[in-house]
Amino acid sequence: MKRSKATDKTNHYLAMRRLILSAMIGLPLALLISVLSISYYFFTYSIESGTTSSMVRIVEDHRHMIDTFLQERKADLVFVLRSYTFKDLSDPQRLEHVFEHLQEKSNTFVDLGIFNEAGVHVAYHGPYRLEGKIYKDTKWFKEVMKSGYYISDIFLGFRRVPHFIIAIAKEEQGRRWVIRATIDTYLFSNLVEGVRIGKTGEAYLLNAQGVFQTERRSGGHLLEKDPETLQFPARGGGIRTFVQKDARGEKYLYATTWLREKNWLLVVRQERSDAFKTLSTATYLVLLVSLLGGAAIISLAFFLTGRIVGRMKQADMEKRSLSEQLIRASRLAELGEMAGGFAHEINNPLQIIRSEQALIETILSDLKNAGELKESKDLAELEESMDQIRLQIDRCAKITQSILQFGRQSESSLEEIDLRAYIPQVTAMISKKASVHGIKLVYEISNDIPRVNGDPGQLQQVLINLLNNAMDAVLSRHGTEGGEITIGAFGRGAEKVVIWVKDNGIGISAENLKNIFRPFFTTKPVGKGTGLGLSVCYGIIENMGGTIEVESEKGVGTTFTITLPAEG
Amino acid sequence: MKEMKMLLVDDEERFLSTTKKLLARKGLDVLTATSGPEALEILREHNVHVVILDVKMPGMDGIATLKQIKRQYPMVEVIMLTGHATAESAVEGLKSGAADYLMKPTHIDELIQKAQEAYEKRQRLEEKIRVLQMRTLSGSPRHIIRESEES
Repeated sequence: MKRSKATDKTNHYLAMRRLILSAMIGLPLALLISVLSISYYFFTYSIESGTTSSMVRIVEDHRHMIDTFLQERKADLVFVLRSYTFKDLSDPQRLEHVFEHLQEKSNTFVDLGIFNEAGVHVAYHGPYRLEGKIYKDTKWFKEVMKSGYYISDIFLGFRRVPHFIIAIAKEEQGRRWVIRATIDTYLFSNLVEGVRIGKTGEAYLLNAQGVFQTERRSGGHLLEKDPETLQFPARGGGIRTFVQKDARGEKYLYATTWLREKNWLLVVRQERSDAFKTLSTATYLVLLVSLLGGAAIISLAFFLTGRIVGRMKQADMEKRSLSEQLIRASRLAELGEMAGGFAHEINNPLQIIRSEQALIETILSDLKNAGELKESKDLAELEESMDQIRLQIDRCAKITQSILQFGRQSESSLEEIDLRAYIPQVTAMISKKASVHGIKLVYEISNDIPRVNGDPGQLQQVLINLLNNAMDAVLSRHGTEGGEITIGAFGRGAEKVVIWVKDNGIGISAENLKNIFRPFFTTKPVGKGTGLGLSVCYGIIENMGGTIEVESEKGVGTTFTITLPAEG
Repeated sequence: MKEMKMLLVDDEERFLSTTKKLLARKGLDVLTATSGPEALEILREHNVHVVILDVKMPGMDGIATLKQIKRQYPMVEVIMLTGHATAESAVEGLKSGAADYLMKPTHIDELIQKAQEAYEKRQRLEEKIRVLQMRTLSGSPRHIIRESEES
């Protein structure tokens, strides 16, 4: 039975521990996580939308720039076309002159060529030998003849060098002729590439088949097919942004849009981790904070729970010990009450014995007087015995009286007490016990001592308690010989009266002196002494308006000093 | 003292018989009763001066008996016999008209002394009554005429 009680207790504490822990960890963690998640989510969203919108703006500006470049080059050629005739430009000198002017406008012009209706390169100025070549079947020629204006994709052409051309056709006197200029691909590529976006941001152009029209910084040369399969948006649509993994598995943030001047797709992209760098910093921070916070919460929770459960255990233990002491105290109190009952009951037979004894004495005396009893040794012994019986009955009566007086719980009745008479009365109650144990009782009561106001029963209780304690202390040290207890009283001035009880017992340690007036504090073994005595004494003396103090030295002795206000 | 008639009331028979013997040896006339009703019965039939009454008795207890005695025979003096000195019942007894109290176990001499005092008190009271009655009888003529006219 005891076993299961102990395990019940441990289970109870474990359950408590678990409960407190889960509350202390669960709630703060949940709060922490939800706060972090919510802020992280909003932060992420704002960063992403911010980054994306700035990307969109960059793309728009860039597209505008590239479109403007192409428009200007076209405008340049249109100006030349309007300003000169076919005959004018067919003159190589003239052409060179015009070309130099064009180059002043923009150094991206590589060469300039004039073509007739049949696609013959009638005049050319540039680094290549292209005069006389026939372009009738080339795509660009067919296109420009069809629509009057054409920008080509990058192609190798006769010169076997990647380039693209702008060609414009003009109708003159019923005949058509074409002016064509080559744009420096590398310069153009630089123009397109030259945008700084973070660390990995790049821009490039793809044609409708996904072939690079400009160089890509992260790898991708002219005329190579873009390894990434991008979804081409519908023509005329706005700017599309999306996240996609490239051929190497890197996640990129893309923004694509068609140019207006030419069906090239402008692609601007940035490594996602680069684009959302603040975001990843934030993510790491959040993780760090939640880890640290979580760790802090958890360790604090464990620590606090340990403390709380420890305190609970301690409180339970104290409660148990207190209730044990209470039980002991109440048992003793019961015993006291029972003693009162016994004393009362014993008085009845005592009464009878006394009257019987009185009768015997009277009869004896009458017989003696009537002469029926002769003086003899036996008679004398009989009389002596009767006398003894009477004495012993008196003694019994005194004992029962003192028990009954002691156990009474009457309200305090204030009286003026004359200590000179009172103290010996009190010590008489324990004088027999003292003499049996060989303890010497010494009195040092001064003669002119003022009276004190108090309940004689309660003061008696205090003095008896002190005397009993003194006797126990003396017995522990001296055994049955050599013990001495002094009780004294004197007046201090006219206002105070001092009563003191001194013994040469084993003394009290400094540690115990601190707690000596505390309720339930006792150094006696279990079953002997409740620890209530001195605390009750303290209360009684306080009620009387006085103080009680103690001085002690271990191995030497103890002195209790009571100071009371004097009466009158 | 020799004319004093006493009644001892106590539930302990032995105590009653022994005390009666003791008191008889001293020349005192003592009656006994073991309960309240019995005591009242005796009081009805005998002229008792002093009652020694035990406080704790089964049935009709000391206080109740005391009250009855004082109601029915107010001239009778009652001395309470109690377990301890200032017990509430003794105090109550004194308040209810007991003349004195004795603490158990009593000395026979103390008992006699207190009974004596109570008897003497009773004597003095009876004396005063007699004097008063005398005075009424030998009052002024006008007083006597008025009294006889009224009666």
